[in-house]
Amino acid sequence: MILCPNCQHMEVPGTVFCSNCATQLILLDSSKTHEIHDQDANQKAIKTSPFRPTPKVNFNSWASLHMIESGQIISLADRDEFTLGRTSEGQPIMPDVDLTDFNAYANGVSRLHCVIKRFDSKAHVMDLGSSNGTYRNGVRLPVHVVTPINHGDVISLGKLKIQVLIDQGKSTP
Amino acid sequence: MNSPNYYSILGVPRDANQEEIRKAYFSAARRLHPDKNLSPGDTEFFIGAKEAYEVLSDAIKRKAYDAGLPPEMNLDFPVSEKVTFSREYLVKMQEPQLAYVLLEYFPNPEDLNNLNSPPLNICLTIDRSTSMKGNNLDIVKSTAIQLLRRLRPQDIFSMVVFSDRSEVLIPSSHGGELSKLEARIQMLQASGGTEIHNGLVAAYAEIKRNYDPSFINHIILLTDGRTYGDEEDCLKLADEAMEQRIGISGLGIGSEWNDAFIDELARRTGGSSIYISSPLDIHRLLMEKFDNLWQIYADNITIEFKELENVSLRYAFRLQPELGLMSLESPLHLGPLLRSGSLSILLEFLVTGTENANVIELFEGQVIVNIATHSRPVSNFQIHLRRPVSMKSSSPEPPPLEIIQALSRLTLYRLQEQARLEVDAGSYDKASQHLQRLATHLLQQGNRDLARTVLLEAEIIKEKQSYSLEGDKQIKYGTRALLLTGSGGTQP
Repeated sequence: MILCPNCQHMEVPGTVFCSNCATQLILLDSSKTHEIHDQDANQKAIKTSPFRPTPKVNFNSWASLHMIESGQIISLADRDEFTLGRTSEGQPIMPDVDLTDFNAYANGVSRLHCVIKRFDSKAHVMDLGSSNGTYRNGVRLPVHVVTPINHGDVISLGKLKIQVLIDQGKSTP
Repeated sequence: MNSPNYYSILGVPRDANQEEIRKAYFSAARRLHPDKNLSPGDTEFFIGAKEAYEVLSDAIKRKAYDAGLPPEMNLDFPVSEKVTFSREYLVKMQEPQLAYVLLEYFPNPEDLNNLNSPPLNICLTIDRSTSMKGNNLDIVKSTAIQLLRRLRPQDIFSMVVFSDRSEVLIPSSHGGELSKLEARIQMLQASGGTEIHNGLVAAYAEIKRNYDPSFINHIILLTDGRTYGDEEDCLKLADEAMEQRIGISGLGIGSEWNDAFIDELARRTGGSSIYISSPLDIHRLLMEKFDNLWQIYADNITIEFKELENVSLRYAFRLQPELGLMSLESPLHLGPLLRSGSLSILLEFLVTGTENANVIELFEGQVIVNIATHSRPVSNFQIHLRRPVSMKSSSPEPPPLEIIQALSRLTLYRLQEQARLEVDAGSYDKASQHLQRLATHLLQQGNRDLARTVLLEAEIIKEKQSYSLEGDKQIKYGTRALLLTGSGGTQP
């Protein structure tokens, strides 16, 4: 199933426009995601466990994204589901977490790359059919399949590495 | 055009089986038999058909004949076909997936030069109920008179008026004394109720009186009211008419008429349904309808298709030349192909069972084309749409622009359809929400007037739990009009 990023409506793969809100689900050629040809991009992502003291986590959030390159922290709070991606001009689709400022384009992040959600007291990640794939601890995840993630896991969106920090007490909705 | 071969003489595809060949021969023989000899040259065609049958019905002779045929026979087809898929391949997976196909047909340019558009056999069927009184009927009368003057000598015209009963105002004929006919139209007065079946029965009888398969036989229904209780009879009559390739188009004036019914009438016969929001548009839209009829290259293009495993046709919409929802069951009556432009249909398929397949057959059947002015039957041709199945996860190529464009507009029409169904089902909040989303998209595209109508309607539905009479037609035909290619889309 494909998830409409705008209204969270489920659609059958191959659908071009969301039947619930008419948002375009398949993106046009002119704004394709930058392809990465760097072969060893995947291997670099293999190191997993936290290699920096875990920075302090926002009080309200159930999980935080630690941007490994810049050291910045993005908190995920108040909602159970966040789409990750980048914005581009003339594109109506807005990810919940905009990674444009983290050099997302050069790192091969798609405009709607993946989604992080919380259910059954666990955090999960799902690739949304991105061009360069989503990796969890260096292993590429299948498209549109929900995979559980643990505290400290590193997910890579293309080449952009993000460590997921989960606030154990709050992972239950 | 290629020199005729035995297949094109009989009008059968090259892979026709014995039964199809036999049927085609007998139908040709009935039509062309020397005893009936209608026009010079028929005897030659009859001999040709006989010869063709003798060869093709004999397996050995047929094989020898096939070997000598040029491989490319497509030039012989009266129309050319263009198929555009939304995706290059399907993905191997357990869950269902969607594929879209844009089917387009164009006239064969060589035939276009050699053939004129066929003569018309038209019955203009006018609602004269009390509600037509005044502006509506006056404009209809003056338009009918203008149409009468514009008819070509070869055209056959009749006019039926109906209320709770019907009357043949102008019997089916090649014109006649214009001033007399015009006087008859002028005398027309409005009175009574609306019973469409009465009108259609009389119109059908007039068309049949001078019925000729080499003419465009078409009923044009103009109404402003709702018929009660005889809808089923009307649809039955439409099916019967379609068997003889008599089409029906409906024009509805104002807000009271039953749009779902007129749409269905048109859908079953390959005709069109037209919404006339104001009396001032009656003249223009009726003239446009006739202009289209005069421009016909091939009429009643029909696709007969098979039920296929793992695939269902979920949606079919005609984008050109006239907009309209199509049936989802075989046969698809696609209506006419005009001399300019194309006949375009967008199909949506739901596909399952890809995990065990390498290729999926999406659509299989034959296209039946009727070119009235063609001297001999034209070949039906096969349509065969299939997509490979791949292990790769998602298609790297976005769908072709034509498909994206058509779908972006069709999605808005379908949002409106969904809202209608939700109102019928009592989900007023959902309906109102869908209309609000529709309005957002319309605003983005600069369709402010339609967006305002839609927003207003969303409010009305919340409050009164039903559509307003004008609102639902304006929204339905307004979003449908967005699909006219090229136009940014305003009310028709």
